[in-house]
Amino acid sequence: MIAAIETGGLGKQYRRTWALRDCTLAIPEGRVVGLVGPNGAGKTTLLRLAVGMLAPTRGTISVLGERPADGSAQLARVGFVAQDTPVYARMTIADHLRMGAWLNPAWDGELARRRIGLLGLNPKQRAGSLSGGQRAQLALTLTLAKRPELLILDEPVASLDPLARREFLQGLMEAVAEHGLSVVLSSHLVADLERVCDYLVVLVASEVRVAGEVSDLVASHHRLTGPRRELPASLEVITESHTDKQSNLLVRTDGPILDPAWIVKPVSLEDLVLSYMSRAGRRPRLGVVS
Amino acid sequence: MIRLSLLQFRVQAVVGVVVLAAFAILLAATGPHLASLYAASGIDGCRGGGCQNLADSFIFEVTVAGYEPLYLASVAIILLAPAIIGIFWGAPLIARELETGTSALAWNQSVTRTRWLAAKLTIGALIAMTVTEGLCLVQSWWAAPIGRAAGYGAASGPLTQGRFSPQVFATHGITPLGYAAFTFALGVAAGALIRRTIPAMAVTLAIFAAVQVAMPLWIRPHLAPTHHTTISMASLGYLAGQGSPGGTFAYVATGLPGRPGTWIISSGAVNAAGRPVSTIPAACVVASVEGGYSGLPDCLASQGIREAVSYQPASRYWPFQWIETAIYLALALALTGYCFRWLNRRLS
Repeated sequence: MIAAIETGGLGKQYRRTWALRDCTLAIPEGRVVGLVGPNGAGKTTLLRLAVGMLAPTRGTISVLGERPADGSAQLARVGFVAQDTPVYARMTIADHLRMGAWLNPAWDGELARRRIGLLGLNPKQRAGSLSGGQRAQLALTLTLAKRPELLILDEPVASLDPLARREFLQGLMEAVAEHGLSVVLSSHLVADLERVCDYLVVLVASEVRVAGEVSDLVASHHRLTGPRRELPASLEVITESHTDKQSNLLVRTDGPILDPAWIVKPVSLEDLVLSYMSRAGRRPRLGVVS
Repeated sequence: MIRLSLLQFRVQAVVGVVVLAAFAILLAATGPHLASLYAASGIDGCRGGGCQNLADSFIFEVTVAGYEPLYLASVAIILLAPAIIGIFWGAPLIARELETGTSALAWNQSVTRTRWLAAKLTIGALIAMTVTEGLCLVQSWWAAPIGRAAGYGAASGPLTQGRFSPQVFATHGITPLGYAAFTFALGVAAGALIRRTIPAMAVTLAIFAAVQVAMPLWIRPHLAPTHHTTISMASLGYLAGQGSPGGTFAYVATGLPGRPGTWIISSGAVNAAGRPVSTIPAACVVASVEGGYSGLPDCLASQGIREAVSYQPASRYWPFQWIETAIYLALALALTGYCFRWLNRRLS
């Protein structure tokens, strides 16, 4: 199976700082992948490397089995909606759709017109006069009508109000259901991703902290409360806090926790992600390819 | 991609065509009058020394008719057109895409970034060159009578600079093509390098101005080895300068007798042995005092002093036009190459 995005030791250095370091990932195809991490964690860098808007300093990256942006055929297979969903302010919506038709052989004009119609937008309106939500929808429409196999979205909803955010994600999920796209989208808010993603990558301080199926992640992480004591080696502690007698832990384990001394509670995705984000930098845990 | 380039370039193209049309209308409205003044002047068919007088009176009539400001304005527009093109068309081409983030949109359509840049540069450069050369051709047609009068030796003035003078050389023939291509590519490259539109515009203007000053001052005179000759100090009509009694003298040749259109690069007096001289010989001190300064050149000539002149012959006008245009086009190509390299290095 070809990975949607596969990286090996990928790194990007800006002058003296590393925006992304030693990133080894295999994001499977056919998923809706959430890339989550605090601001400045390297999410945008990773996504821009994936669409060939940046060249890696080190390591390798392949997207749908090919070098990013390597020729028009590869460009046609990948759709990208950049941060702040840029469009040409002076061009009308109709101009944008014409641009899409001219530059993309697989252009689905019917889909584009239908989406613009559903959004209630006037094709003669200049893109510069659109609201943030409308602009994001236009950018998404342009990318969807290109009929890519993989859709990459960089913080598409970060600047939208809650209603526009919901509408955008709803439109995205409808398109995913209709066309069977692979999607990678980044956000610094887990709540945005929780509703739509079935695969998660947590990126902190330019390193991948955890990656995997959402259901696997939730199943393999537990919050434990109990007396302070030594832990079995099969438990990986993600975060811990202690009082004199009690320990409060968030652990990862593949097996069941049988020790009756612990009170075991399930972990919400948000809790899990926040734990990884607050965890001090350690050897990055690499994702498991499924 | 060509259609998108045209769509996105339509504002610039419309502005260019409107300026060109306004310029053409203005000159077309006055051109026939100018031509009729020339026809009435009787310069065509003149013979000998009378030609210069006829040319002078024609230039005088042109000035009286109020065409001098129009002529100078048209020259200024042609000189400035490449700068405006480089600043407002070239510099934003990449820089504005980067500033507004629309590069992410443009470079993720199913068209390679190389093709994107190739189409943008081709369309932009073609429009830039067409507009600039169009202005140049319209003005050349309009000012042709003035140029012919200057060729017949009309006295030097704002209207009658020689074909090699900076303002005439840079606004006639094919050089505007080279300037337009160069500044456009310069603007694009500066925008790619600096990534911000306004600073890229400033850098484009500064470099263009520096190149346009350096070219006529230091480079154009040496595009081919200069010729050398000496002319008589007595041919005063072609000398300008003065001497001070008992002191030094300095004359500058402004042309070669009987060889109109020659471009004088440098000149200075030499004695019979060929050494440069600037001190008035004893025999001529009296002449310079008694006869005013007008007697001095004849006296200097009688002492065997001649004016040594290095010059470019008039026949080199077109070769120089071609060489200079080729230099600017080569610079434009080099800058274009830089833009492609920048695009491929920056992107994966």
